[in-house]
Amino acid sequence: MSELPEYILDRIFHAPREMVWRAWTDPELLHRWYGPGAETIIHKFDLKPGGIWLNEMKWGSNSHFQKVVFQEVIQPEKMVWHHHSSTDSNWNDAPNPMMADWPKLLLTTVIFEDMGDKTNVRLSQVPMDATDAEVAFFADAMANMDKGWGSGYAIMDELFVELQAKGGSDE
Amino acid sequence: MEQVGYIDSKSNLDAVFAALADPTRRAILSRLTEGEASVNEIAAPFEMSQPAVSRHLKVLEKAGLIERDKDEQRRPARLKAQKLSDVVDWLSEFKAFWGTSFDQLDNVLLKMKQAEKGTEHE
Repeated sequence: MSELPEYILDRIFHAPREMVWRAWTDPELLHRWYGPGAETIIHKFDLKPGGIWLNEMKWGSNSHFQKVVFQEVIQPEKMVWHHHSSTDSNWNDAPNPMMADWPKLLLTTVIFEDMGDKTNVRLSQVPMDATDAEVAFFADAMANMDKGWGSGYAIMDELFVELQAKGGSDE
Repeated sequence: MEQVGYIDSKSNLDAVFAALADPTRRAILSRLTEGEASVNEIAAPFEMSQPAVSRHLKVLEKAGLIERDKDEQRRPARLKAQKLSDVVDWLSEFKAFWGTSFDQLDNVLLKMKQAEKGTEHE
């Protein structure tokens, strides 16, 4: 088995580790920041190995459901969870409506590194129990992000301007 | 040469971006927005040989940006731009997900700090 592609995001927060941990683990605080521009509703949050977090994100009339199953919880240093990236409203795994080859399950590790009055948070996600197509898709996505989406977007923009000028795609 | 079968399987994003990096291929895609076209029809405005156009079409086909009929003699090429647009939308959402969430977390932490200071002063 070759090495699996990994998404890593490091971010320093200007707050002590205990406080950052609290913002991640108190549902009252978590729902205020998790999910970009969405109304986040936490239906269940049971922070312990085997416990689950049921999360709904609402954009207008659309809802996206995710299920997290915690594997490891070491306060205030580390948590590991299985991230079910797309479920139906009954929290059963459902195919991603947009991307058939997006990994259904991501092993997610969050490490909180104490830096005094600051905290470095390292988030990493690796496909789990993934098909070859899912692994390949995720690897490509990560590679293109690392290379800088910027150039990719510039090309896309140019192409879409041309497409729109011609009256749109025929699909 | 294995070409058939690639097209509708996994989206190879590297191939997509490599395919789009060439101005001639973008011009071919642009031409295909007007509707399907054969190699002859595509080659005409480009002052390019048919084999050269065929090579470009192969790159586009392998990247999943166009499809071509397999049986017909003409083998007209058709655009599949929607798929590309879907992929880019999804990836930008994924990238924005954590980035934007973390920006929001900054704000939550700031308010937590302010609240803590507030109680200390009381």
